[in-house]
Amino acid sequence: MISTHQLPTPRLEEWRWADMGALRAAADAEPRDFGIKPADLFLDMEGPRLLFVDGMFEPAHSRPGPVTIARFAPETPHPLGSMAEGEGWALTLDTGAAVTGIQIVHLGSGGESHVPARIMLAEDAVASVVETYAGSGWANRITQMTLAHGARLMRSVRLLQPDGFVSIRDEAEIGEAASLVSVFLGAGGMGSRIDGALTLIGKGGFAEMGGALLTSGTQKQEAAVSVRHEAIEGTSRQLWRAVAANRSVVSLAARVEVARGAQQTDGGQSLRGLLLDRGATVNLKPELEIFADDVKCAHGATVGELDRGALFYLQSRGVPEARAKALLTRAFVADAVSRIGEEAVRAAFEADAERWLEKGL
Amino acid sequence: MLDIQDLRAEIAGKEILKGLSLRVNAGEVHAIMGPNGAGKSTLGYVLGGRPGYTPTGGSVTFAGADLLEMDPHARAAAGLFLGFQYPVEIPGISNVQFLREALNSQRRARGEAPLSGGEFLKLARAQADALGMDQEMLKRPVNVGFSGGEKKRNEMVQMGILGPKLAILDETDSGLDIDALKAVGEGINRIMRAPDKAVLLITHYQRLLDYVQPDFVHVLDAGRITRTGGPELAHQLEREGYGVAA
Repeated sequence: MISTHQLPTPRLEEWRWADMGALRAAADAEPRDFGIKPADLFLDMEGPRLLFVDGMFEPAHSRPGPVTIARFAPETPHPLGSMAEGEGWALTLDTGAAVTGIQIVHLGSGGESHVPARIMLAEDAVASVVETYAGSGWANRITQMTLAHGARLMRSVRLLQPDGFVSIRDEAEIGEAASLVSVFLGAGGMGSRIDGALTLIGKGGFAEMGGALLTSGTQKQEAAVSVRHEAIEGTSRQLWRAVAANRSVVSLAARVEVARGAQQTDGGQSLRGLLLDRGATVNLKPELEIFADDVKCAHGATVGELDRGALFYLQSRGVPEARAKALLTRAFVADAVSRIGEEAVRAAFEADAERWLEKGL
Repeated sequence: MLDIQDLRAEIAGKEILKGLSLRVNAGEVHAIMGPNGAGKSTLGYVLGGRPGYTPTGGSVTFAGADLLEMDPHARAAAGLFLGFQYPVEIPGISNVQFLREALNSQRRARGEAPLSGGEFLKLARAQADALGMDQEMLKRPVNVGFSGGEKKRNEMVQMGILGPKLAILDETDSGLDIDALKAVGEGINRIMRAPDKAVLLITHYQRLLDYVQPDFVHVLDAGRITRTGGPELAHQLEREGYGVAA
């Protein structure tokens, strides 16, 4: 059981929008059976599959391939991430190795579950991982990633739990000419907190973390990501889209730090919020901290409603109002999801977003 | 086809249309001309059902139904097409997606089977070709990065695909060079010149009327039709200005 004093409080600036009450309620909730078949949560793709039910590895529904299962306690200063100890998974790839289409499904029935993960890619190794969160309860995860020279990792994470809470902590060290792209889609009914700390430690690295968080009712989702450039010629992108309906809240904090000497850094931040109802809230907090003088850091943060002109234009061509709103909202989140490289995965995420729109509007 | 009786409408509490009456029969092309601020665009938006353009009196009957009671999308499904003076840019939705969605929404509303992707593409390509619009533009987001002329051609491609009974075209000639004007004019004639169709051209200048010959020309001034004549009235207005004609 979690004790109250372990959780961060909103008095800390980094946690001012966090909904730890929802997290605690999810952890304390009685187990429920949603009747979800684990097989339905995997995409129809070749590649390794791992199922965790309430944080425990389920070999019967898994074919882990090169992914190993082990118990470990990650070292991290992060208050939630440090709780994610116990049975977890690890992917270690040698120089030049490639494993794509790895799927990790987290199915919860209630209560709390903690799973650590580690991804270590040697020189020029390539991997892609898709994670799906379903069911109920509090799912707490940490993923620590190390990318050596020229390694490439694509992560796609979808949060589809109908209730409960998902907290995710990502930590990555990105080496020379290595590339990490992480795309998140929050399209369930749960609360969420997505934390990221990405560090570019080698020349010419690429780091991207972004996605779309869709909320309705009184739901709260948030992401707090920090990208630190420690080496020259690094590129980073944080592209987040927030869609809030009813009285829900989405909060996005995105930070770029450019260390002294990290010249020719190219940092990009795009935070955009769409309010579907007057009672909805989107909080955006872009931050730049730059200690080098030859850098390019483009940033934009906007919140607004659906464009009334565009809405009438669609209606005037015969599209009913609800459908027109869904189309415009889908278009609003499209560029976040379009960052996913694999077509089957991108299509699945688009379908998840579409389902949310059909239901949420 | 369209019967407007004593129509009054306001925007934000200000009355713009002050008792406008107009009857358009099938097979006819009507031009509405008038000075800036006369209420020309307001008339288009009120007929299209744009929120904020509130009818306060009178009646509009379209194809036997009370137009003002219908939602905007239902007006489209009933056969009304509103060509925009400033077509809206919609990032993230391709022209093809947008138009297929629009056409199939209309077809469903009329109880017709939706077109498949293949059937729709064939229709869209044929219309784009006829208007001299590059096929590639069908794949691009709606009107994003289009020039003024390209946007107006796109309006005509949409009109060709949707096949309305009545087209209300608001300043379709504005921002067009002479080639685009000719293409748009030919488009209107090809798509809408038929015994069962009608056109209401809202325009400030008579130059589009060189390509699309109206059967009737009306002068709209201060929210009312103040004068009606044949094609020669447009030339007279062009020579003498609205002050003299009104």
